[in-house]
Amino acid sequence: MSSLRFYARLYVLALRSRAEYRIDFAVGVGSTLAIQCASFAFYWVIFSHVPALGGWAREHVLFLLGMTAAVLGLSEMLLNGIWSLPQYLVRGQLDRLLLYPVHSLTFLLISAPEIHAFGNLLTGLVITVLALQEIDVPALVYVLVPVWLACGAVIYTALLVLAGSLSIVALGPWSQHFMLAQHLLNASRYPASIYPRWLQWLLVVALPVAVPIYLPGRWVAGIGSAAAGVLAPIVAAGLSAWVALWFWQRALRHYQSTGS
Amino acid sequence: MTALALPPPSFIQLLFGFISLAEKTAASKLAYRFASFISILTNTLGYCIFLLVWREVYRQGTAVSVPRAEIFPYLLLAFLVNGILTLGVEARFNQRLRTGAITSDLLQPLGFVNFQMAQGVGDAMANSAFVLPVYVVGWCFLGPAVLPASFASAAIGGLSLVLAFLINFGLSFFVIQACCVLHSAYGVISMRLALHQVFSGLSAPIVLFPEPLHSLAKWLPFRHIVETPASIWLGQVAGARLPQLLATQVAWALVLLITSQLLARSLVRFRQVQGG
Repeated sequence: MSSLRFYARLYVLALRSRAEYRIDFAVGVGSTLAIQCASFAFYWVIFSHVPALGGWAREHVLFLLGMTAAVLGLSEMLLNGIWSLPQYLVRGQLDRLLLYPVHSLTFLLISAPEIHAFGNLLTGLVITVLALQEIDVPALVYVLVPVWLACGAVIYTALLVLAGSLSIVALGPWSQHFMLAQHLLNASRYPASIYPRWLQWLLVVALPVAVPIYLPGRWVAGIGSAAAGVLAPIVAAGLSAWVALWFWQRALRHYQSTGS
Repeated sequence: MTALALPPPSFIQLLFGFISLAEKTAASKLAYRFASFISILTNTLGYCIFLLVWREVYRQGTAVSVPRAEIFPYLLLAFLVNGILTLGVEARFNQRLRTGAITSDLLQPLGFVNFQMAQGVGDAMANSAFVLPVYVVGWCFLGPAVLPASFASAAIGGLSLVLAFLINFGLSFFVIQACCVLHSAYGVISMRLALHQVFSGLSAPIVLFPEPLHSLAKWLPFRHIVETPASIWLGQVAGARLPQLLATQVAWALVLLITSQLLARSLVRFRQVQGG
C-alpha cells in the first residue's frame, strides 16, 4: 500500500469513528454555526456604526470573516490531530507513535479529524461567496479561493505544530498556548492594517497566518497587487510547512518519554 | 441495630465543608499557575482584537452613542468580569461523567448542586488572582477611569458580581443537563459560549447593538453575567435603573438555581451513569 493510500485510509477510518456519535456530530455542527454567528454578530455591531473600517468596505471585511472561518474549518477537518498532542504526551502514546513505521507528524495530524468543523467550513464558504458576489470579482478569484483556503489551513496548522513542538521541548502537556494560534487566526477577520505595527508584523511576516486571507483581501478590495494576493499565500504556506516540520523533528530529538 | 450511615451534617458543618472545598479547588487551580497564566495571556491577546477594532472605529471619528472615555474602561472591566466568572463546572462535570466518578459526587453530604457550586466559587477565587495583573496593566493604560466611581459603586458592583456568579452557575447547570441528555459535551458547551460571547456584552455594551440583537440581549440572562456588574462597578448605571438591574439579577439567579436543583434531582432519578 502506498503512503498516500495508507494516510487516505487512516483519515477515512478516523472520520468514520467520529461520525459514529451522530447526535454529537449534529450538535457540534450546530455549535460551530453558532460560534460563527457570534463572530458575525460583532461584525454586525461594528458595521451598524461605521460604513467602512480602516478604508475597508463592509463587503471586503465580510470576505475576511468568511475566509477566516473556512480556513479554521478546513484545518480542523483535515489536520486537527495536533490538538491531541498534550494527551499523547501525558499518556505516553507518543512513544508508541514513534515506533510505528509512519511519518509521526502526518499520522498525528490526520488521525483525529473534527467533523463538526464542517459547520465552520460551510459557514465560511457561504459568507465568502456572498461577499465576493457583492464585490463583483472576476471568475479567477473563485478559482483561487480553494488555493487560499488550502494555504491558510497549512499555515494555521504549522503554527499549531510549532506550539506542539514547544509542548514537547519545554512547556509540557498543556494546550493553552495552542489557543495563541487560534487567536492570531481570528485576528485575520479584520484588516491587519487597523492593528499596531508589531501585530501586523506578527500576522503577516513572523507567523503569517493572515497572509492567505489579508493579502487576497487587499487584492479583491482593489488595494493590493494580484501578484502579492496570489503568490504570497503559496510561498508563506510552503515556508511555514517547512519550518514546522523542522521544529517538529528538532523537538522529537529532545523528547523525553513520560514517567508513568 | 447498628447505624449504617453517619448522622446528617449540621448547617455549620455544611458551611465549613463548602468553604473548605472552595479553598481546595482554588488551591488546585493555583497549583497549575503556569498553564493558567498562559491561558490568561492568550485570552488577553484574543480580547485585544475587539479593543483594536473599537479603537479604529473611534479613530475614524464616528459618532457612537457611548463616548470613547467610557467604552474602553467598560471593555476592560467586561474582560475581567468574564475572566473571574469563567468556571470549570461543565468541563469538570463532563470529565467525571465520562469516567463514572460522578457517582461519588452524587453521594456528597453537601448535596450535588452545592458540591458543584463550591468548586465554582473556588474557580472564581483563583481566577480573581489571575486577572488582577490585567486590571493593574489596564489601569496604567486607561488611568483612574477603570476604578469604581465611588465606594458605593464598588460595593454594589461586588454584590452584582456575586449575583452574576449565581446566574452563570445556574446556566452551567443547564448546560450539564443538556450534555447528559444529548450525550454531547463539546457541542453544547460551545453553543453556550457562543451565546455568552454575543449577548453578555463582552465585546460591546448592549446599547450599541443593532435590532434585533439589542432586544434579544435585553431578554436573555447573559448580559447580567458581564455587562451589569461591569457597568455598576464603573458607575455607569444610576438612578432607578440600579435597583431594577439588581432585582433582575436576583430574579434570574433564583429562577436558574431553583431549576438547577429540580433538574439535578431528575438527573439522579432518570439518567444512567456511564460505566467508566
